[in-house]
Amino acid sequence: MTPIITVADLTKRYGEIDAVRGVSFEVEEGEVFGLLGPNGAGKTTTVEILEGLRAPTGGRATVAGVDVVAHPQAVKARIGVQLQASAFPGHYQARELIDLFALFYERKVDAPALLRAVGLEDRAGQRAEKMSGGQRQRLSIAVAMVNEPRVLFLDEPTTGLDPQARRNLWDLIRDIRSRGTTVMLTTHYLDEAELLCDRVAIMDGGRIIALDSPKGLIEGLLAKGFTKPVLQQQANLEDVFLNLTGHELREE
Amino acid sequence: MTAVGQVLRLTLMLLRAYSRDFSALFFGFAFPLMFMLIFGALNFGTFRVSLGVADEARNPDSARFIEALRGVSSFQVSTGSSLELQALLEKGDRDLVVLIPQDFRIAPAPAGARVPAITVVESRGAAQEASIGKAVLASLIDQLSFAVTNTQPVVTIQSKVVSAAQLRYVDFLTPGIIGMTIMQIGISSVAFGFVSDKQRGVLRRIMATPISRRRFLAANVLQRVLLAMLQVMILLAVGVFVFGVQVVGSVAALLAVAALGCVTFLCMGFALAGWCTTENQVPPLTQILTLPQLFLSSVFFARDAVPAVVRPIADVLPLTFLNHAMREISTGGATLAQVGGDLVGLSLWTIVGFAAAVKLFRLESS
Repeated sequence: MTPIITVADLTKRYGEIDAVRGVSFEVEEGEVFGLLGPNGAGKTTTVEILEGLRAPTGGRATVAGVDVVAHPQAVKARIGVQLQASAFPGHYQARELIDLFALFYERKVDAPALLRAVGLEDRAGQRAEKMSGGQRQRLSIAVAMVNEPRVLFLDEPTTGLDPQARRNLWDLIRDIRSRGTTVMLTTHYLDEAELLCDRVAIMDGGRIIALDSPKGLIEGLLAKGFTKPVLQQQANLEDVFLNLTGHELREE
Repeated sequence: MTAVGQVLRLTLMLLRAYSRDFSALFFGFAFPLMFMLIFGALNFGTFRVSLGVADEARNPDSARFIEALRGVSSFQVSTGSSLELQALLEKGDRDLVVLIPQDFRIAPAPAGARVPAITVVESRGAAQEASIGKAVLASLIDQLSFAVTNTQPVVTIQSKVVSAAQLRYVDFLTPGIIGMTIMQIGISSVAFGFVSDKQRGVLRRIMATPISRRRFLAANVLQRVLLAMLQVMILLAVGVFVFGVQVVGSVAALLAVAALGCVTFLCMGFALAGWCTTENQVPPLTQILTLPQLFLSSVFFARDAVPAVVRPIADVLPLTFLNHAMREISTGGATLAQVGGDLVGLSLWTIVGFAAAVKLFRLESS
């Protein structure tokens, strides 16, 4: 099986700063691939190159059969993106935003069906700016799906959400994966990566320093003789919180 | 979906969002309309051309001609010697001086014979008044000749000036308010909209889709040109139907000049939007660009009100060209060819604005 994303020796330099220093990896079709790392590790730059938003300084990358370096515009038609710290154009209802973005892809879509897929069917007439954080993230995933993308890029999708909304979004991401879409996820939350990702790459200082399944990475660490100083608790504070407030999604 | 189809659909979507943007609607539409209604209702007296007549013929025909001039209520006629009137003209106390030659008569002239030539001297300081005065004068002379030769006028368009006769403040004001609005919509709508969208990451999100930058910008330009032209027509309709403003020249020519003005100010808006990196910079920089033009480009008052020191600057501002051209057409019945100088001035500003926009404006980060 040929990988859907191939990255080889990718570099990006901003003036004096090397943001990405020779990154290589492959993503298989249908998997959820996580890109982890502290702030400034080069995650977002790497992803933005793959999305056709930035030109790399060096290296090669292919996404869904398109050479990203040579045809950054063509790759945009085949992928769906959810960007970090971006917003929708103002004054549109959820349904209209779906139609607006479909227009950008020169497509006609079934907006109610897309909203139903992310659980926003009864918010079709609501303005995006009046939605809660969790609803907005789900809407942005619905918008990212208007072109039936082969790869969905999600950049820190659960940042700033409450525990219920995060779990709800995880279910949505699993659902998207089960329908055959490849998901490339960047996140700060390691529990999220462990739960959702088939494989993760850990970046630091512009390089990939580890790449394996979450289980494989943990086993590798344990094999090196690592032990946690404190015995693992049987429950944590988040379990308490969810036990008290339930898993039910709140309508803010 | 064709390129045109995509651009037009996007334009409609942009207009829909605009129609829900209360503050944009207020500043773009309600505000100029309020200006128009308030200043129109105040009606700062009538607009008059101060006309000096030096009668060197002193015959019944010249007396009849002067009588006819006095009959035009937008003329304030005074008589005197050629020399003293020209001195008054130099001082700016007269807008126009008419010299009636000794051989003046109102009679049919045989073909090839010399006809009496009336000399008109105009004040450079009051170009507006002088040109309106000349237009009225020309049509008056035409009417006199037609009456004498018992023929029908070949072209009747100019006689409208005389029937309109009285040029009121609101006639003067309407083109000025229209020019002001074009400037406001052109500069503010682009600068406020795009800088906010840039800062909020909206543009980055749109540029992550495959729509071409060219089409996206085309729809944004088209949307604003349509808005500005709609507002121009609303203001014009309020002028005509509420205040009885008479557009002497062609409405089509007026709209064509307005459209050129839209393009000029849109280019400046894009240049400004490219220059600003945060939303906080937009209001002061917009004011720096628009306020001087608001006061120096004859929006509310004629050029005379501008201090002589700054007139050389005022005369080359883009809004001055736009207002002057629209006013000449609207109140003086000028054709597009007759306001060619203004159109050249506006076009030069458009080129400057476009070059600045191309240099400064970016939809995406590198």
